[in-house]
Amino acid sequence: MRRPLLRLILLVLFGFTARHALAFSSPGDSILTPTPIHPVISTRDKALSLLDSVSLPDSSVWWPNVRKTWFMENIKANILHPLAIYQGSNTNFCGYAAMSYLPLQDDPVKYTRFMLDLYLNGKANWGKIRFTPSKEVRKAAGTLRFKGILDIRPGDQMWFLVLADHFRGYLNFFNRRFKPGAEDTFWAAVNYGKFNRMIREMAGYQVEASGSDIIRPHFKDLYTYLTSRLSTGVTYLYVNNVYLHKKSHDTRKFRNSFPTHFIVLTDIHRIPGEEDRDLVDIIYWDYGGRTLRQVEMRFLKKIIFGVSHCTPPPKPQNTGK
Amino acid sequence: MKTLFSILLTLAVFSSCTTLNIKNYYRKYHPTLDSMEMVFNQAYHKKPFSIQFSDRAFDRVSLELITDTLTYIYEYHVTEARMLDTLVKYGYDPIPIISLISSMQSMECTWINNLDYYTEDRKHSLTYISLWPRAFNSPFVNKKYYILTYFQQPQYFDNEGRLLVGRRLRRVRRINAEVFHRINDKVCYTISDQFR
Repeated sequence: MRRPLLRLILLVLFGFTARHALAFSSPGDSILTPTPIHPVISTRDKALSLLDSVSLPDSSVWWPNVRKTWFMENIKANILHPLAIYQGSNTNFCGYAAMSYLPLQDDPVKYTRFMLDLYLNGKANWGKIRFTPSKEVRKAAGTLRFKGILDIRPGDQMWFLVLADHFRGYLNFFNRRFKPGAEDTFWAAVNYGKFNRMIREMAGYQVEASGSDIIRPHFKDLYTYLTSRLSTGVTYLYVNNVYLHKKSHDTRKFRNSFPTHFIVLTDIHRIPGEEDRDLVDIIYWDYGGRTLRQVEMRFLKKIIFGVSHCTPPPKPQNTGK
Repeated sequence: MKTLFSILLTLAVFSSCTTLNIKNYYRKYHPTLDSMEMVFNQAYHKKPFSIQFSDRAFDRVSLELITDTLTYIYEYHVTEARMLDTLVKYGYDPIPIISLISSMQSMECTWINNLDYYTEDRKHSLTYISLWPRAFNSPFVNKKYYILTYFQQPQYFDNEGRLLVGRRLRRVRRINAEVFHRINDKVCYTISDQFR
């Protein structure tokens, strides 16, 4: 993250609203009536059939730098291996990649249809949301380089750029329009409120969020809290990546104080014999893969700035009429 | 004015010395560094992993053990017996890894890993070695990690010795957002404030 001073000013102006328990239902309800964590809305087979049934032109007038062959391979890979979606190295796309964790698993047909519409028409609808990407974004998709495997994933470049172009938050206030290289800047940044909004609007999940962009939430017993969240829904953690994915030994820097990364927590358990150190194993998803890591609970407390507990909406009752 | 000029000159000399130092450092220690790269490369292609030292004293080592389903990250004191147990448990040959850890300590190397990069839609890989030698720490230089990249094929460079994307694509290549410079046809360096 660049421009730390600017970020501080923005946070002071707009971000001093710690979001605690933005619940759509009372937290106890979901524990009493557990819902399937990933509702299967459509299957991978149907998504693959849809992809095979469509005949795309070799090039799209809307996406001049996206090649059909790579695009189709990319969409197919995302249908078959939804957890392998990778935001690219040194980009600020991690919030969009983390959000994608839900729709790619729950409704691959909707994702496939959206991407095909986008390729063919330059715009597409996701439910009630209309995505009309800017000309700059359409031109940039397929040209992002030096980002690892994202270099050869034009479909993912389209997806991330379109999401970043559409969903705007206060961190994007001074970077309104896409410019070459903007994927690494505040143009693509995702603040906590925007992330939860994307989950609600794109995945249709109900989000119960605790935390903020600058103030760490307080949990009386973090381990018990996280364990209970995991059993009843998908749990995202908004974390300080400087400590989780250490890139420098310098602990004095200003940027070390803020959360910059979203991960999906999939498991947490205490390690037998390590109770005195309060050591736990956490398993989380980020960067296109799952990681198991041993951490002390105090380390986890230090890095967590937000916990978003996401539950799928209740299925509409069939009245039989 | 003269004082200011002297200060600027001193800063420039310090900076350029640091840049020169990494080349000299490589020339002086290249048998050890090249051997580290070779041992890592051979062991990595049997079973992928990376090694990171997480403290300045080079006492705490973090291992990333990469399997098809999960990446395991464990941190140990270098002398801890549990480390060997973990390596055996996950099917790693401990001999090259223990030898690498020892070499990394002696060379003050903070990270060694394999990175994928793409040229004209083709996947390649390189070995990324981050050095953090105390000898290079200068109060006048902000960036403090000295990074070497080992390529499998000879690379292309511009007149200033900057690493290029390829022979036809004469754009400067960035790895981890950094521009790299030539040491020889297959080895490049940069100075960065991040070790990975």
